[in-house]
Amino acid sequence: MTASANPWPVDQARIDANWRAITIELDAPTPGRLERLLRAAGLPGRVTRLVVATPALRRAWYLATGLAILIGLGATDAARPRENLFVLLVMAPLVPVLGVGLAYGAEADPAHEVTLATPMRGLRLLLTRAAAVLGFSTFWLLIAAILAPGRQPMAFAWLLPSLGLTLATLALMTTFRPRRAAAVTAVLWVLGVTWVRAGAADPLAAFGPAGQVLMVLVAALSAVVVVARRHRFDLLELRA
Amino acid sequence: MRAAQVLAFGLTRRFRSTEALRGVDLALEGGLITLLGPNGSGKTTLLRCLATVDLPSGGSTLIDGLDPRHESDRIEIRRRLGYQPQAPGMTPSSRVFDLLDYLAVLKGHDDDRVRRHLVYRALEEVGLDERVGDDVGDLSGGMIQRLGVAQAILGQPTLLLLDEPAAGLDPDERFRLREIVAARRHRATVVVSTHLTDEAAIGDTVLVLIEGRLRFVGSPEALAATAADRAWIQDTEPVGARATWRLGDGRYRCLGQPPPGAAPVDPTLEDGYLLLTSPVRA
Repeated sequence: MTASANPWPVDQARIDANWRAITIELDAPTPGRLERLLRAAGLPGRVTRLVVATPALRRAWYLATGLAILIGLGATDAARPRENLFVLLVMAPLVPVLGVGLAYGAEADPAHEVTLATPMRGLRLLLTRAAAVLGFSTFWLLIAAILAPGRQPMAFAWLLPSLGLTLATLALMTTFRPRRAAAVTAVLWVLGVTWVRAGAADPLAAFGPAGQVLMVLVAALSAVVVVARRHRFDLLELRA
Repeated sequence: MRAAQVLAFGLTRRFRSTEALRGVDLALEGGLITLLGPNGSGKTTLLRCLATVDLPSGGSTLIDGLDPRHESDRIEIRRRLGYQPQAPGMTPSSRVFDLLDYLAVLKGHDDDRVRRHLVYRALEEVGLDERVGDDVGDLSGGMIQRLGVAQAILGQPTLLLLDEPAAGLDPDERFRLREIVAARRHRATVVVSTHLTDEAAIGDTVLVLIEGRLRFVGSPEALAATAADRAWIQDTEPVGARATWRLGDGRYRCLGQPPPGAAPVDPTLEDGYLLLTSPVRA
């Protein structure tokens, strides 16, 4: 049969392309449970991929959850409410700090070098991961704060320190490796609040208005440093 | 889509007291370029500088006229780039599809359907489309290297940089990988580093990097020709040859200044390379 005799000319290339497209749609693996959940919550596929497909980030999430639950359990002990509140306020801001420290860089992500060579800006990727860790840990810690005895407003005084310390960690990451940056921030924080507590009558003095203002300043200063030195997140952490 | 133009001027890279690159000049555009050199010669550092993940201590590079020292240029270069570092960096528990899809997001492909097609296309090119749902940990070493190439060619880059992609592979897998890489030489500037001379022989151009210096740029034939009249075979162990090794038949292949009466043999690329890397004996 000749082509001209065919009453329905066939564009084989187009049929092949369409068939291939159908095959791919049918064959492509479906996202995991967590990713489907995030998509159902309205997050676009590209974001859920960035958040879920990073094993390092999953580890940071698990750590954040574990720590938050431990802190929460401690805070709900009604026997020593003031002491427990102090522990909650000191420990809660450290959860996102450790999470961020574990979620980025060559130590955390085996594909870090490949990741750097893509057009996705390092800072954008870092902020996406930081937001994921911060959001996740904040969720659990808020539950802990709500369950804290007395339901006092002071139980939420870790929110600004969390933001300040997380940004401070990001700022230090422009100079130090992520884990070291997180460790430096954590040590300075614990030393700072312990020092304030030792010199004040109120054990929660570090979390009062002055402390909150200080944390806003730390957050603002750190944000400036992060933006100014954002190129550091686009390059390998090689020591020249 | 035009192959990327790569220029380097006096490229240096220092790490404390070590100078990994010492004034490298380059001009590449299209074709398959093999970067040959012994371990520690600076191959990885050079590729990292070209891949814009590291910045040189001195000198400069231009990719398609873009300077990686400037943030916007660096991002634009990365849109055209496919890079496989020496360590593939793949988590064994990740699924093949998820890993490539994640990297496709990083490469700026936001649409889910477009990404799926790009991922399948890359996997088809390296012969892994049947393993799309498998975990990386279930793949063989050769397959993982091919997966590394798949992530690098995702999105059809015009500059492809592969750092020792055939390291540790058996001959079958090396041959397969060689075919995959060579197939892209007409669509991109492909730079493949290796310390194996038979891998280097497939290049249109061979670069030989020794102790951070570019010691040879030319065709594989030209590199072999540098050993013309300086390779010979003799029955007894030679004295004063630059390099020598025993052949299967018990004789010695020698490189250097042949002794009187020695009959030169046809030189190979390996001869030329060894003459470059072997120190001149006093």
